Formats: sequence, structure tokens, C-alpha cells
Amino acid sequence: MFLKELTELSGVSGCEYEVRNYIKSKLTDMGCEFYVDKLGNIIAHNKGRKNKTIMLAAHMDEVGLIVTNIDSDGFIKFEAVGGIDQRVLNSKPVLVGEKKIPGVIGSKAIHLMSSDEKEKALPIDKMYIDIGTSSKSETEKLVNIGDYVSFKSSYAEFGDNLIKAKALDDRTGCSIILELLSQKLDADFYGVFTVMEEVGLRGAETAAYQLEPDLGLVLEGTVCADMPEVEEHDKSTLIGKGAALSLMDNTTVYDIDLVRSIAKIAEDNNIMYQYRKSAAGGNDAGVIHKTKNGAKAAAISVPCRYIHSPVSVASKKDIESVLLLTKLVILENQKGEKHV
Amino acid sequence: MFNSELMKKLSDCFGPSGREKLIREMIMDEIKGLADEITIDPLGNLIARKKGNGKKILFSAHMDQIGLIVTHVDEKGFLRFANVGGLNAKELLGLRMVFDNGLEGVICQEELKDKEKLKISKLFLDVASTDKEFIKKNFRTGDMCVFKTEYYETDDCVICKAADDRIGCYILIEALKKHPPTENDVYYVFSVQEEVGCRGAKTAGYIIDPDLAIAIDVTATGDTPDGIKMDVKLGGGAAIKLKDNSIITHPVVKDLLTELAEENKIKYQYEILEFGGTDAGPIHTSKEGVPSGVISIPTRNLHTSGEIFNKFDVEECIKLVIATAEKE
Amino acid sequence: MLKEFLFEVCSNHFVSGFEHINGDIIKRYFQPYTDSFEKDKLGSYIFKSSGSSDRKIMLAAHIDEIGLMITKILEGGFLSFISVGGINPASLVAQEVTIYGKDTIFGVIGIKPPHITSEEERKKPHKMKELFIDTGYSKEELEKLVTIGDIATVNREPLSLQGSVISAKAFDDRACVTVMLETAKELKKISHKSNVYFTATAQEETGIRGAKTSSYKIAPDIGIVLDVGFGKTPDMPSDSPELGKGPIVAYGGRLNSKLTKKFVDVCKKYNYPLQYEAVPAITGTDTEALQISRDGIPCILLSIPLRYMHTSVETIDLYDVEITGKAIARFINELDNSDLEEILCF
Repeated sequence: MFLKELTELSGVSGCEYEVRNYIKSKLTDMGCEFYVDKLGNIIAHNKGRKNKTIMLAAHMDEVGLIVTNIDSDGFIKFEAVGGIDQRVLNSKPVLVGEKKIPGVIGSKAIHLMSSDEKEKALPIDKMYIDIGTSSKSETEKLVNIGDYVSFKSSYAEFGDNLIKAKALDDRTGCSIILELLSQKLDADFYGVFTVMEEVGLRGAETAAYQLEPDLGLVLEGTVCADMPEVEEHDKSTLIGKGAALSLMDNTTVYDIDLVRSIAKIAEDNNIMYQYRKSAAGGNDAGVIHKTKNGAKAAAISVPCRYIHSPVSVASKKDIESVLLLTKLVILENQKGEKHV
Repeated sequence: MFNSELMKKLSDCFGPSGREKLIREMIMDEIKGLADEITIDPLGNLIARKKGNGKKILFSAHMDQIGLIVTHVDEKGFLRFANVGGLNAKELLGLRMVFDNGLEGVICQEELKDKEKLKISKLFLDVASTDKEFIKKNFRTGDMCVFKTEYYETDDCVICKAADDRIGCYILIEALKKHPPTENDVYYVFSVQEEVGCRGAKTAGYIIDPDLAIAIDVTATGDTPDGIKMDVKLGGGAAIKLKDNSIITHPVVKDLLTELAEENKIKYQYEILEFGGTDAGPIHTSKEGVPSGVISIPTRNLHTSGEIFNKFDVEECIKLVIATAEKE
Repeated sequence: MLKEFLFEVCSNHFVSGFEHINGDIIKRYFQPYTDSFEKDKLGSYIFKSSGSSDRKIMLAAHIDEIGLMITKILEGGFLSFISVGGINPASLVAQEVTIYGKDTIFGVIGIKPPHITSEEERKKPHKMKELFIDTGYSKEELEKLVTIGDIATVNREPLSLQGSVISAKAFDDRACVTVMLETAKELKKISHKSNVYFTATAQEETGIRGAKTSSYKIAPDIGIVLDVGFGKTPDMPSDSPELGKGPIVAYGGRLNSKLTKKFVDVCKKYNYPLQYEAVPAITGTDTEALQISRDGIPCILLSIPLRYMHTSVETIDLYDVEITGKAIARFINELDNSDLEEILCF
């Protein structure tokens, strides 16, 4: 499993180099052919029997923060990179910039808040990062405008086969593709580790432009809302209930024949799967399926509770289901029989 | 002469965005033998080509219609759903919907104190069955349904569902039937997934890479009581679009369409739409760019189960498409 | 010369989608400093300054401006309109305009007099649909001169303020087209290896369209995108970028960080002043299209600080324009002598 190491690396959208370097070294270790394209996507090629061009995609980037200003007392102002609910930021440890300067997100103490302020979620512009400096010049020696900030949260296993970490969206996908590449299947596919998914599906578009896939399989960490007091039909996915297959979201109406055929493969092989019961959100499939001539695309995802927060939770069993199902889909498609 | 039978067939055929199989087959059947070459691209666009050595012209009308996608099926026969294309909760309440297998349901709401807060997530589809087995067997997450309404017409107008953009498909089919002798290389594209963001047109535009592109789609009108402020009206003829959110019509294309209309005594009106977009949006920015425009059919009550258009306008649109196909 | 160009180009209109009408002005100024000229099919102007290598560098600044489009001719010679690109309706009240119909027609946008306007009404800003252009003609006369779809712009003579500060409409983004002119002028003086494409892009204000088609056509190795940024005014945070302190360099995911660093290093080496901003995701500039054109274009983004954006009194410091143009020429020259592969490699 690569997941522990992958989640503990920093890789906020647009600043994925730590994750990229890690994956590059693993690919080199396993003797897998790859290159890095102009935007920083890693495109790895597993050669084997081939009927069509298959592109597996998982994004390396994670949501985080970016430094916008340093105030006169040396506190760091920031903006969110990617979709973050501002309420998860209060009182979190973070790492700032390439040097990983530790800091904490501070805000006004509750004692000092007016009753009005207490009623409202604290907006991002009222929070700041404190790295323990006492002046602007002191901070400027360590931090620059434009530095990226990631959550500090270590990988932990708990409960029944559950994992807590940051960036499970989408290091789970990255670790699954690495795992598949290491298996040296006799089936041709490209494993693409994309950049900047969280800020607008940027990397996947240029990767798809280069590969011109017939079939795109996006491996994601996806929204899971199986918490108390959420109604049954609003629980977009359930943790521990297997690989989540997307039907529609804001960026893609998934090819229904393809999705149902993947469900059939899961059923035939006793792999747990579920349909993603939400039409909101989006992922790299949104650009892959409509680049150049177009492609069929599917998204096979790991349900992640508390996604886009430092304490995301996923199930090892679900990760296993996604891995196995993806592998079978690749093998099936490169067999030459018209299954998909 | 308006071909009511064809229009009714087109309007009644099932085909929400991403589920265009049936409508594609229906149109393929309708245009059999008319084109030199018929292809289906990876996203499902139907492309009928009349070959020539001259200018490459792309006409696009979208096959897909708005609808709903089932997100959750409970065993009591209540289906939760999300919208496919632009629909809002208030307009949905109480409507009958139909699936591709012919089964139906009616849209109901949770008891809400504040009706103003009605959202799609508070609606559900009652499929009229208490039989758990029946429900399990027939309804799955991912199924789509569309409005269930009867086609109706008067001497001059039509009320039907999915006029957006089956009327565009109708115009292209009729134009293809009367395709003029010309050196132009003409592509009649019946596109997919327009209602969810003009996705089919993006790939079709890339594949064909035309010299000129014209989308055929519906547009709103300003001729209803206390309606939106625009000059377009039913019976005013083919509408030549000048601007919407997806395109500013290329001046050359505006002039071309205007001249063709005047030369051929086709009644036309200019259209400026303050919202919305069509297939011409992604096509005109494809590759190095494509001079593009839109011929619009004025249509009232858009994105509802009863869209209204005028037959005369449709005839004028067909004439304008043919004139464009012919123009060197 | 820069001011002369900027004033001339801002005294004429280039409303999004109608950039072809006054194109001769741009050609007249750019052609003496460049080797060839072409357009993409949406109407972006591409001037190429040929180099001795295969390398292609694209500079992009949009030539289009926001404007008005006539939607209806009303009784009494009034015209309804919508905006082409984003305009704050409040900035249109009590302006003089020109309508480009069969002839150029003068008009004013007036509002009801205060005497018959309630206290309540006066507190609310106008919406676009509540505003009309008064042409002084009768409806019948006007119909002979104006057609639906004709465009109009606010009249504004460019103004020289104190020092090198100037004000006009459409400095967004013609200030940056002027930056390109300065760069072209500088590059003309030296022999450069890179082929440099000065691109005045069309239709940025309506959805970054010309940058998409022109970058596809050029297929450059790198992109330098130029746009305007918010210059400090009393209502902004105290540490905002200011006029007269050089271009604002953007950091963020849309930009290539190593290429950006190279630009910053070159500026530091030659003492060009710089200011900085972080852009977490969408930049709202031509970068959106360039970065993901074909297999991707590594980009940097430089902004000229500007006050009162999208009004008819956009205000800049010409010093920033000149210094940015020179800095880019220097940057291109330094890139010519460095290993670009090395800079762009991840």
C-alpha cells in the first residue's frame, strides 16, 4: 500500500511536486515507462494486450490554502484552493510553503466575540496563520505570497478497517493506479496522475488531448454522507459498501451501457459496488469524455466521509473493491470481446 | 406543408441527455438513404453528410431533451431524482413522467411549511405501485424519465414537449430531404447532451472542423403577457441570433444569413437572448475558431412540458437552412 | 509613442465580437516592429516577430472591450440595450454614448429627475433594463439608422492626469496591448532566437474565446499573458498593489511556477520593480484558455495595476506599461540564452 505515504505528502492544486516526485520514484522502482507532460501530469504506460486505448486517471492534487498576504505583525492571510467549507479550518495545524513551516490557523477567541459573531460561521478573511513570528520581516524570511499551505494530518487506521487521513480525495485513486501498474497486467493501459483537478479539471484535459483514449476510467475519492440525521436518499454513498459508480454529475452524464457493464462485472465477481446517488460534484471524467473526438468515461470511486477536510475517512475494503473492479474492467476491455 | 406526423414522432420519442439511443435510431430511420455517409461519433452524435468538394458547412440540432435522473429508489415506490438540464422544482410539481420502458410516475412533494423553499430534493416520483417486487424489478438508480404530454396542434401552432430541440431536428431532416445540388460539403449533425452543457457539439465540431457552422435551436420570445423584454415573436419568421451567453454571431455569418433571407424572401427577425447558449458556443471556439451563427425557432414556454411554436416560422427556418447549404 | 498608441486605440472601439472594425490602427503601430501578420478565425490579431530558432513564445493581451448592444427601438427615439461583457449599470448613468449604426449616432443615457424620484428609489442602483439611450430622433427616423444588434460605447476622451498617470475607457486590456508594443519595439533592436507572437486577442470579456482559438493556432512553447489587475484605492486593503510600482506577478495553479520564478529573477537582476499576488484558481484572464490549449502551455501572468475597472475612467500609470514591456523583452532575451527544457521540466 502506497496510501499512507501518499496522504502524508503535500500537494495542494498547482503545487503537486512532492506527490509527483514520490510517484515518479515508485514508477522508476517498478520499471514502469512514464513521462511528465507540460502541465505536470505523470503519464505512465502499462504495455500489454490491447484493443483500445484506456486511460486511468487519478488526481495528485488536494484542496488546501494559498498565502495571499503577510500582515504588519507577521500573521499570514490566505485563501482556499479548491472547495473547502470554511468551518473545517478553525484551529487546525498546517504546513506552509516548500520548507513546510509549521503553523496554526488562529482566530478571535470566543470570549471576545459579539453574540452576532458567534451566530455566524467565521469567514476565511477573518482567519490567519500564525507561525510564531512577531513581525512582517520575520515572516517574510520564511514565507512568500503564493506559497501553498496544506493540512497537517497523519495517516491513522481505526474502527473496522477504516482510515483517517487528509487528501484521501484523491490519493486513494493514486495508490490504486500505482498498485495496478505494479501488477504488470497483460493488458494495455495508461495510468495518468493528473494535476489541478480541484481547481477546474485542468491536467486531465491536456492529458486526454495527448492520449486520445477510447475509454477513460476515473478513480476518485467521492462524497459520502452516511451520517446520523441524513435522510436515506441523501446519502450519496455509504462507507464500506463497495466501489461507487457514478451515473451523472455536474460535468458528465456517464455512458449508461458502460456503467451497467461495470456493475455486471462487479456482480459476476462478487465485488461490492454501489451507485453514487447524487448528481452534484464533478471529476476529471468531465473533460476526458469530451476532449477531441470524445471518449466513453466512467468513474469508480472510494466513498470518503468528511471529504476536503483534514480528517477524511475511507474504508480499506472499499479501496480493495475499487482496485479489483478496475483491474477486471481493464482486463475485460482488452480481451477483445465486446463487453463495454 | 407541415409534416405533423414527423414532428409528433420526434416529440414523443424518448431521449434525455445521455440517453439518446431511441431518438437517434428514430432519426436514422427517418433519414435512411438521404445522406452519402452516416456516422455516429464516440459520444453518440449522429452525423449525416452530403459530400462535396466545396465549403465545409456544419448544421447542428440537438436530439436530447430535458428530463430527470433517478438517484434513489426506495422499496415503497418513491423515487428521488435530480434534474437533467434546466428544470426547476416549482414547474415540476404534479407532472406525469414516463420512462423509456413506458412506465410512468407523478411528481409529488414532501409536506412543506414554506412552499417558496420548494427544491428538487424535496420532490419525489410516485410510481403508483405498492408491490415491492415490481419496484425492484423495474426501477434502478440511473434510470431517466421525461415529461408525458400529448402532442397537440392548431392550424398554425403546435404544443408539445421537447420542441427544444426536436423542432431543430425536424428542420434538419426536412432540409436534408430537400438538400440542394451544391459543391458544398454539408454535415447535418444531430447532437447529444446539449441540455447539460453542449457537450456533443464540442466533439462534433472538433471532428468535422467546418468552415461555417449553424446551430438550429429554439429561442425565447417576448410576445407573452408580462414576458421577457425581447423583440422575437411567434410568426415573425426565422430568428437570426445575434448574441447569447455562448456566442456573439460572427458579423460575416450575420450578414450571410440576412442576405440569404432577403434574396429568398424568407421572413426573418433578429434575436438577442440575454441568457442561454446553443451548440454554436463550443463549435465556434473549436480549434482555430469557426465562423458560426444560429437560426432560432421562436418558442414560448421553454423547458416546460408544453412548448409552443409556429409552423410558418419552422418553414422559414427550413428555407434558410437550405439556402445556407447551397450558398457557395 | 506608447501614449499616442494607447490614446488612439482607446478613442476607437473594439467591442467584443466587433474587433475587426478598427483593426487598421493596431496594424499601423505593430507592423513596423514585426515581420508578419495573421488573424485567427474569431478575429484575434497575431503579429509575429521572427527569430532564428523553432521556439515559439506567445504574448496575449485582449483587444476587446465591454460595450452595449441595442436590443429594441422604442417610441420617442429611445433605445434599449444589453451589455456585451460585464458592466456595472451604475457606471452608465448620465453618460454620453455613440451608437454605431448605419451612421455614428450620438446619444445620452439619462435618468428620471430627482424631483419625481422617491427617496427609496434613489437609494437603489439602476438595473440595465431600467436605462435607455436617448437619441433625440423620432422612432421612424431612428429605425432607418439603427438596427437591433448594433453596438454602442460610452464616449470618453483619454485624459492625462498628474505625472505619467492617465485615464480612459478600455485600458482593460489595451494597456497590455501597449505593453506588447513596447516589447516588440525593444525586441526589434536585438536579434532574438525565439519567434515571438504578439497576440491581441478577441472576445476575452465575453468568455475568453479569442485566446482559445489563437493559442490553438499558434501552438506556442510558452505563454505570457497580460491583463490588468486591481490597483489600490482607498476602499481596498492597505497592502494592495499600487500604480507606478511595476507589474503584478501572479502565483497559482494556472501559472507555471518555475517560469514565473525565472521572470522574477530576471526582473530582480535588472532592477525592474515587481508586485505580487496569489491566485488560487480561476484568474479570469486569457490564461484560462492558454494553459489547457492542446497538450498544455506553461504560462506566466502579469497584470498592470488599474483603478476603476470596467468603467469609462480606468486609470493606470504609463510607467508600469513601459517598464513591463521592457522587462518582458529582457525576459525573452534571457530565455533565449537558457535551457527552456530545463526550466519547464518537472
